[in-house]
Amino acid sequence: MSAHNLEAPSPGSPLPRLATLSPQAGRGKNWLARYNASPAQAIALAAIALFLIAFLIVPLLRVLIVAFTAPDGSFSLVHFGDFFRTSLLREAFWNSIYVAAMTVALASLIAVPLATILARFHFRGAALVHTLGVVPLVMPPFVGAVAMQLIYGRNGTINLLLNDTFGFRIPFMEGLNGVIFVEALHYFPFILLNLSASLANIDSSMEESAQNLGAHGFTLFRRIVFPLALPGYVAGAALVFVKVFDDLATPLLLNVTSMLAPQAYLKITSVGIADPQGYVISVIMICCSLGAMLLSALTLRGRDFATTQRGGGGLSRRHLGRGGTALAIAFVALALLISLSPHIGIFLLSIGTVWSFAMLPDAYTLAHYVTVYREAGPLIANTMLYCGLAGLIDIVLGATLAYIVLRTRLPGRQLVQQVAMSAVAIPGLVLGIGLLRTYFDVKLPFSGESLATFWFMLVIAYAVRRLPYALTAATAAIQQLHVSLEEAAESLGARKLGVLSRIVVPLMTGGLLAGFVTSFATAAVELSATLLLVARAPDAPLSYGIYVYMQAAAGRGPGAALGVIAVVVVAIATYIAFKIAERERGLKTRELF
Amino acid sequence: MKLSRTLLLAAICALSAPAAVAQELENKLVIVTSFSKDLTTPFAQAFQKKYPGVQVEIQNRNTAAAIAFIRETKSSPPDIFWASSPDAFEVLKKNSMLTKYQAKAQGIASKVGSYPVHDPAGYYTGFAASGYGIMFNTRYMRANNLPAPKEWDDLKKPVYFGHVGISAPSRSGTTHLTVETILQGEGWDKGWATLLEMGGNFTQVSDRSFGVPDAVNSGQYGLGIVIDFFGLSAKASGFPVEFVYPSVTTIVPANVGIIANASHPKAAEAFVEFLLSDEGQQILLDPKIQRLPVRATTYAKAPAGYPNPFTDKSLGAKVNFNADLSEGRYELLNSLFDRLITFRLKELNAAWKAIQDAEKTLGANANAAAKKLLADARKLASSAPITEKEASNPTISGAFHEMKKGEKPVGRQAEFEERWDSYAVKSYAEAKALAEKALTAK
Amino acid sequence: MPRGVTIDHVSFGYNKTAVLDDVSLDVAQGELFAFLGPSGSGKTTLLRLIAGFGTPSQGRVLIGERDVTGLPAWNRNVGMVFQSYALWPHMTVAKNVAFGLERRKFGRAEITKKVRTALDMVGLGAFADRRPAQLSGGQQQRVALARTIVIEPEVLLLDEPLSNLDAKLRVEMRSELKAMQRKLGITAIYVTHDQEEANAIADRIAVLDQGRIQQIGTPTDLYDHPANRFVATFLGTANLIDGRIDGGRFVADKFTLEGITAADGGACISIRPQDITLGPAASGAGAIVAEREFLGSVVRYRLRMSGQHIVVDMPHRRDGETYAVGAEVGLTVDPRQIAVLR
Repeated sequence: MSAHNLEAPSPGSPLPRLATLSPQAGRGKNWLARYNASPAQAIALAAIALFLIAFLIVPLLRVLIVAFTAPDGSFSLVHFGDFFRTSLLREAFWNSIYVAAMTVALASLIAVPLATILARFHFRGAALVHTLGVVPLVMPPFVGAVAMQLIYGRNGTINLLLNDTFGFRIPFMEGLNGVIFVEALHYFPFILLNLSASLANIDSSMEESAQNLGAHGFTLFRRIVFPLALPGYVAGAALVFVKVFDDLATPLLLNVTSMLAPQAYLKITSVGIADPQGYVISVIMICCSLGAMLLSALTLRGRDFATTQRGGGGLSRRHLGRGGTALAIAFVALALLISLSPHIGIFLLSIGTVWSFAMLPDAYTLAHYVTVYREAGPLIANTMLYCGLAGLIDIVLGATLAYIVLRTRLPGRQLVQQVAMSAVAIPGLVLGIGLLRTYFDVKLPFSGESLATFWFMLVIAYAVRRLPYALTAATAAIQQLHVSLEEAAESLGARKLGVLSRIVVPLMTGGLLAGFVTSFATAAVELSATLLLVARAPDAPLSYGIYVYMQAAAGRGPGAALGVIAVVVVAIATYIAFKIAERERGLKTRELF
Repeated sequence: MKLSRTLLLAAICALSAPAAVAQELENKLVIVTSFSKDLTTPFAQAFQKKYPGVQVEIQNRNTAAAIAFIRETKSSPPDIFWASSPDAFEVLKKNSMLTKYQAKAQGIASKVGSYPVHDPAGYYTGFAASGYGIMFNTRYMRANNLPAPKEWDDLKKPVYFGHVGISAPSRSGTTHLTVETILQGEGWDKGWATLLEMGGNFTQVSDRSFGVPDAVNSGQYGLGIVIDFFGLSAKASGFPVEFVYPSVTTIVPANVGIIANASHPKAAEAFVEFLLSDEGQQILLDPKIQRLPVRATTYAKAPAGYPNPFTDKSLGAKVNFNADLSEGRYELLNSLFDRLITFRLKELNAAWKAIQDAEKTLGANANAAAKKLLADARKLASSAPITEKEASNPTISGAFHEMKKGEKPVGRQAEFEERWDSYAVKSYAEAKALAEKALTAK
Repeated sequence: MPRGVTIDHVSFGYNKTAVLDDVSLDVAQGELFAFLGPSGSGKTTLLRLIAGFGTPSQGRVLIGERDVTGLPAWNRNVGMVFQSYALWPHMTVAKNVAFGLERRKFGRAEITKKVRTALDMVGLGAFADRRPAQLSGGQQQRVALARTIVIEPEVLLLDEPLSNLDAKLRVEMRSELKAMQRKLGITAIYVTHDQEEANAIADRIAVLDQGRIQQIGTPTDLYDHPANRFVATFLGTANLIDGRIDGGRFVADKFTLEGITAADGGACISIRPQDITLGPAASGAGAIVAEREFLGSVVRYRLRMSGQHIVVDMPHRRDGETYAVGAEVGLTVDPRQIAVLR
């Protein structure tokens, strides 16, 4: 939609509000030049701002206003005082910070070597590894939790095995450390994706010049490669931090309630409780997340990382020796095995009859797939449609916004960016309620259906909540893109739109793809807003189907079968996306030999 | 076949008034429910068979999402809310989101056990009941050498330390009723003592009611306090689990209510009547549903051994349930349980572990000083921070729900919660210290 | 300590296409040697093989007496200046220059000293704390050079180092480069596609095309005695005429040249435009003026001579004689200026 706006040529000053800010307004269409922006860019920024106001700010304020309302109905900050006076919540606050920081560290230990191996060496099946590296993000609701317990729980496969063989257990899933373990396995793909995109954008001469001066191995990585890939790493790490800080599913799965997100969730979803603390906690989490994102932006400020003067192509890939290959394969296999074990668990659950207090299911059956067979089709189609559209909206909005933020000086652009980023911290339930409250009485023309329960509202909810992923990825990609590449195109007579579509977008393919894949994959298993906004069974996506099955004690099998289908659908979509990217990259890489 | 159906239709027409208006029902019925597919599908199918002109649309949502949805869609809401937890209905009722409806069906008991089936004010109608009990994983029990429990009090035994799970009353209306029943049955102080001592053995307080059967099914822990159909249906699906009703069990109803301003009120009323009809009640006997009918005569068709609260007086009859008392402290009780048990489970575990260990080590040889210390420790680890009277005092409990006009609570929820939380942390730590001291007391 | 470089029968292929085909050459110690060729000729690949980026499929690379064929880039002590400069954007200028010294385990004080000396040498002493992005193209180029020479490499490799600069700066920088190379006495190999640049800077040049060495020699050598058509046309402009040599005469389609001393047989001769003299119609072989360009010091004529295009440069004299387009002219040539190609 915003691409459409970009196309619209707009002579004169299209935005009176902005125009009055400029003393040159009277002089016609060049007033925007002082912001280094074209009218189309100004319109695009305004359109994105409108989108966010309509589908994020207004709905959110309508819900969160409670946090600022005193018992007598007047405006008040008394509840925020209560927050800091409550020892449980203070404890929860520090626990959340601790868990988020440690998760970043642990996730980096998995993701950084993985990304490096994939970027630096000739590795057969790199697209496959990339795909499998995304799959941990796709943790189907409920079944994922059951599977994690069955594999890593106190009496899960691994602990039963350990206990039988060695007589001890490892508390993978206990307490804050358990949360860190599970979160790191779940969210390391954020770092993997963003770092990989960043590594792919480093000009090989950057590395070669260092080798030429005598650096190699770890020194080369530490001094040259990693610092150059820093935008991607920081983007990924910040996302992991914020996501873990705001994540609800894992603490709940492990029954750790002494963290902020579960405290907010338990308050908000507890029936009949009118306590505003849940919303207060939400507001505080949004602020913390924004703080973390700002901090990450600050660490990168003033650094020019644009190394892609020749249009990229990435580090030159090397062949590994036999020992190196074995080591790399062993690491990749181990990392994938650990991070995919929940999915192996879900798979076993879906083909198992009874799995109880045992290393593996008692017997195997396809009955669960038969059970869900008839319903799976429309559920898959809906998931593909909703999440695909949401992912597209996200990369269009994300890339446009990132471009405007980095390449123009339009007023308000950073505010819009921060608002967009804040969505990462918003509980799905809060946004869902807000959207219902704001749009239920808006009727669609012709059908008279409510806009809030129209299926496209789900797409919007997904897109809004996942916009930060695409925005982060796009920002990192543009940060690495040398402005001279665009200037070259402009000097050759390309208009802004032409530059964007012919130069910027193709060179950002990797980053945009990372954004799309994360948006798509995580939306495919989102439940909280889905449960609120799905009005009719035929409109329901896969996650809703899983929820419906999981309510029955006997429904773990069918639920897991749908979970497996969700994972496979996302994996196939991701694999295709990576294949396309690989081909694109192959086309634009000038072979040096 | 055709003949019999005609006959049946004729019989229904002759017998019941609602069926006579069947022709005038609206063509659609929208039901929001937190029940599983296993329950909703047979009912929806049977209803649609009976009223082919009505298209039934089921929306599955968890209770919180369902309430939010109904609240936010006031201008054209769904027709029926169909769920277990009475608290959800209470919330809707308080916010005028339910329509009063007096069911016409005859032969429905006014009480199951001692629990009133319908909302006395007439806003929602009970259509089924369930008993609470203990579900356990037999493989787990064998592997850990645990005896099978029979009574609630068994769960206080040290042998079950770290093996028991429950869902939080704030998260599960049915657990709430169980907790409330224990408090009413044993009295406030003794009830809390039971709950806290049992809580000392909890390994988990789940935030989802089906988190408990899930964990027991998979053997993450051995025993769970669950609603009967979770245990029974898991057993029926082949899991190595057993379910027992303790001799004092609690009965919780499952309800249906018509939403205010429903777009299809006649179809909604027909659905409520259908649930209560003999035909509808029989569906409850389905092995995948296993809920207790509220129509006494339906039990005649039940398989042998099916629990029957109308003949078995141990099922929920021992406690004379006071609904007003329950309603007055509903939110407060949820919050109190969370402060004392859910959020401070580690500390509570540690206190009771110390007490259990000390008692085991000292055994019968404990000297007077040690006995005194242990008694003090037990008291600290099993008392609530407020009295029953305070809990029912509107100036306190008022802080926990939405303000009515003229109400002036003495504090905000957050303030009470902070007080109770520090109480719990302090008491449990002291109890632990006392128990450890008892070991060396002379 | 500068050393010579020997390329010994090196071949290199990528995806079955031969990028380098049996290349051999010697670069003498202290020499400034240029690889000249069009893009795709393999010149950059050859340079990268010397630096250690890639391993030849056949043949050896020697630096001095040492066979470095299998040695990784970081162990070669060869300095390379990249076309894109490849300055690390996350480091200051000083850090960039210090990097190679740190790898060589110099002490902190010595590094500081050497960095300052190197930066002073390229005239950027005042810019040590800037980041590369804050420098102009020419300054970046100097930083890249300083970064490379500071490690005192055995050989200095320059990959089209001036191609990103504007024309005026390019001419300035190339004499600076040459002066610095002389001063340091370092062996240097310079890759360029610009024959003028190569001629101006190099002691000797290897001309490459399609992965093969076409000719090696000093700039004048190559200009005056091109070995083949490619060299003749790539270095400057040349009129190539096919014909046969027959007993001291060159016989083409429509004309004959006397005084050619070469073995009999089919041949091609190359005549530089300035070696042909234009005169009135009957003064020599007849041709017609097709085009005339005034280039300042010379006037360039394009002539048609019996289906062949001939380029002739006549020195420009004030009020000198010129020929209009369409005029008939006569061509004469000094046989000693004719190069015979095979």
